[in-house]
Amino acid sequence: MSRRPVGALPTGLLVLGAIYCLLPVSWVLISASKAPGELFTLGTLTPGTGLLENVRELNAYRHGVFWRWMLNSVVYAGGGALLSTLVSAVSGFALAKYAFPGRNLIFNVLIGGILVPSVVLAVPQYLLFSKLGMADTYWAVLLPQILHPYSIYLARVYASAAVPDSLLEAGRIDGASEGRLLARVAMPLMVPGMVTIFLFQFVAIWNNFLLPFIMLGDDGKFPLTVGLYTLLAAGANQPSLYNLIITGALLSIIPLIALFLTMQRYWRTDLSGGALKG
Amino acid sequence: MARTRGGAPRSSAPYLFLTPAIVLFLLFLAVPIGYTVHLALRRTRVSGLGLGKGSRREVFVGLDNLRAAVADGELWAGWLRVLGYGALVLVVMLGLALLFALLLDSAYVRLARFSRIAIFLPYAVPGVVASLLWGFLYLPSLTPIGGIDFLSASAVTYSMANVAVWGGTGFNMLVLYTNLRAIPRSYYEAARMDGASELAIALRVKIPMLVPAIILTTVFSIIATIQVFTEPTTLRPFSNTISSTWSPLMKVYRDAFVTGDLYSAAATSLVIAAVSLVLSFGFLRVVRGRAFGESR
Amino acid sequence: MRTQRLAIAAALATLFAAGCGGTAETPEAAPATAASSAPAGPVSLIYWTWAPNMDKIVAVWNQANPDIQVTVSKQAGGDDAAAKFLTAAKAGNAPDLVQAEYQHLPSFIAADAVADIAAETAAVKPEFSAGLWGLVTLGTDAVYAIPQDSGPMMLYYRKDLFEKYGIAVPKTWAEYAEAARIVHKADPKVYLGSFSSKDPGWFAGLAQQAGAQWWSISGEAWKVGINDTATTKVADFWGGLVQEGVIDDQPYFTPEWNKALNNGTQLSWPSAVWGPGVLESNAPKGKGKWAIAPLPQWNAGENFSGFWGGSSTAVSATSKNRAAAVKFATWLNTDPQGIDLLVKEAFVYPASGKGQAALGTPPAYFAESQPDFWQQAATIGASARGFTFGPNVGVTYNAYKDAFDKALQDKSPFSASVGTMQDTTVADMRKSGFTLAQ
Repeated sequence: MSRRPVGALPTGLLVLGAIYCLLPVSWVLISASKAPGELFTLGTLTPGTGLLENVRELNAYRHGVFWRWMLNSVVYAGGGALLSTLVSAVSGFALAKYAFPGRNLIFNVLIGGILVPSVVLAVPQYLLFSKLGMADTYWAVLLPQILHPYSIYLARVYASAAVPDSLLEAGRIDGASEGRLLARVAMPLMVPGMVTIFLFQFVAIWNNFLLPFIMLGDDGKFPLTVGLYTLLAAGANQPSLYNLIITGALLSIIPLIALFLTMQRYWRTDLSGGALKG
Repeated sequence: MARTRGGAPRSSAPYLFLTPAIVLFLLFLAVPIGYTVHLALRRTRVSGLGLGKGSRREVFVGLDNLRAAVADGELWAGWLRVLGYGALVLVVMLGLALLFALLLDSAYVRLARFSRIAIFLPYAVPGVVASLLWGFLYLPSLTPIGGIDFLSASAVTYSMANVAVWGGTGFNMLVLYTNLRAIPRSYYEAARMDGASELAIALRVKIPMLVPAIILTTVFSIIATIQVFTEPTTLRPFSNTISSTWSPLMKVYRDAFVTGDLYSAAATSLVIAAVSLVLSFGFLRVVRGRAFGESR
Repeated sequence: MRTQRLAIAAALATLFAAGCGGTAETPEAAPATAASSAPAGPVSLIYWTWAPNMDKIVAVWNQANPDIQVTVSKQAGGDDAAAKFLTAAKAGNAPDLVQAEYQHLPSFIAADAVADIAAETAAVKPEFSAGLWGLVTLGTDAVYAIPQDSGPMMLYYRKDLFEKYGIAVPKTWAEYAEAARIVHKADPKVYLGSFSSKDPGWFAGLAQQAGAQWWSISGEAWKVGINDTATTKVADFWGGLVQEGVIDDQPYFTPEWNKALNNGTQLSWPSAVWGPGVLESNAPKGKGKWAIAPLPQWNAGENFSGFWGGSSTAVSATSKNRAAAVKFATWLNTDPQGIDLLVKEAFVYPASGKGQAALGTPPAYFAESQPDFWQQAATIGASARGFTFGPNVGVTYNAYKDAFDKALQDKSPFSASVGTMQDTTVADMRKSGFTLAQ
């Protein structure tokens, strides 16, 4: 290391990138500290005096409905990502480790799902859920987000990279069933990859806006994204609650940042693993 | 139980494993798409004033809606806008992602850990919130960067592209970076021995090794750009330069939710899905060919 | 196999937990849906609304009426709520009661989503002014909703700054234009007001004041007259001021506009009676400095106003408990207790004439500068002209935003944008098969 000097230019470029990415986040941080009157009067990057007051106001807004939104986001993102990871891992394993008629067709069709915009799907999904009497329930947001083409793609890559054929063959010679091979041999080897899939799915569902926006009517079931939006669009003749929106935006980012920092190891997992080994 | 059967039902195992995914696919993709096709072929016919019971009914109109969607000038103008916007986003976002990934991987830089987390941070911000934040930052009275009207007709495409670049660079950087880390170090040592510079190694060794990952990120970015919706929709109230049909998907949303024409929305949806398919198909083939080398 | 099954069991457990959360959310909703034929036993109603604190108001009703229990489902406001209600109705999933903005009511009626409650509401008709009642009947014999709040338009202005720039409160739009020029000349950063290309409801209100009738029913046909002389006159008036550069073109309710209101670079706002809430939260520095006056008139000596916003309570066509729903809606909007709660908790300007008359203490924001705020509002409200909204207001309003955005960008005449609104609206109605007059 010591023989290589630190390049001023590369470091400078990287730090510039970091500043660019942090700019809006620091704006939220500063703005969340401004009392309602200060937002449009104080200088953009001058901290205000109202952070605690804003948090208190947000806390009091409709009996703390904000925290309910956060809890809902955790349920949708946590439950959805867990189910999604399991489905993806099992599918990815099957697609990577078995040769069977229709394998490519099934894979292409599943992956092709990514081509269908969520706006396109949300309306018919809503109408179908309504016919089942399940619109405006937790299910309506949870179920459609379990299948995720990209996760299946990743799971297939992970399975083919992490699970050696020789281990499976050895298991078969010992008389293990395919289900047992999946559960005892493949899954444990795929755990790091599955954690990554879980994290990406968690973020995807946490950040999703359109599906819950269309599916849900009652604000007690809203996730954070939709809840914050309703604060913004409370109706033309309702006062805008900018200070609550900005404080809410700040608080809504914190759990994900915590997830980033604590799970750093898994964010680094090789995303297209098998690609280079082919 | 498992032991008694042995490995016998091997042929049925993969299908069994794929059943949950296929069932979910049928329920939440195939059926809704089928329903979209159903809607696209129909339309409401109103009689008289359209008030009171039985004054409107659904009729079959064949390909009328689809024909109208294909012939719709607004939709094509939307495609053109998205094409310009998309080219900008793809080049800048993936370019920056590649640059940052290479910088992080090089031995030269300080503050790498901090920068990596900082650049990845926007990924944690939901698109709605990100657009809102940038929307605030673009306003002349709030922006720390004076002298530019970010929401004027000439600048608005760049301003929107900036939101997408900001939100997407970190994710793509991470994909490329983790792939770089997976390249065995021994690959570069030979080049280093020959006295190649870091820059030369990056250009001649690292980038070629990254090609599959670059293709992968490109495909997903193309699909995401075609479906651009959140940024223009959230920025629209701040500016009078973004129309309700700025992007094709916004037109679908407008038809379905603002003007209440589910049938046109369904038809336009099908057109969008078809265009996505055509644009992505070539790339997907390449990805499939390059990215899967599994043994069976 | 076993592990896989365990995994599935775990997955189901997650779903189950989530499902429990879902059912726990509306505990009263489940047991009482059986009352389909005769409302014997307690009836349960779902009410979609975005009015603040409606749950508190409903709690008062529920306490007094154990037989008719109402559950509030708080919605996002505005156009989103209307779209959602229409989709729910299409899916056969509509709530019993819904808050309906006047301009959206015709599209609810056209979609057969709301019930005709003429028989049940005959007694409350005298509570409301003819103009408001027309908004819930569309001029027919049917009644589709009970008016809840109303938005007669008036001119909000900065008393202190009007004095500073030496301008009088404009009595006519010509005087308004003159004042705009004086103010902007005195300080190029300051504007008398702004033209908003994002608020079709505002423009519709000003057109109403000028006597426009965008939709009307003649016999069995709709007549669409968005490009009538009154509307064209209003559009060209604002277009001229924007072209001249003496009026701002910042859309209302944007942070930018809020800032201008707050720091006194925008001196007036033609708005509706619900304006104080907006001013209070977005322009806190102006407290005690704003006053109200009737809108400037097109001809000296006239006295007309229009409506911007306001909403009603409609009963869904598929509600199994129509009588109970109407009973609640009637209490909410005409009973002194209901109105009192609406005013105090939901901060609305009640549609009921008695409710308006009962308002005494002015909004705190106006306590010093306009102590007779409600008396003024009632006088102005009485001068509001009637209007009928059509079955595709969504299309028209969307066309307004796109067409006027474009006019501002291209600096093209505003009357052309009105023409675009007319053409878009007629084309849409023709496509759907409505019978059109002419």
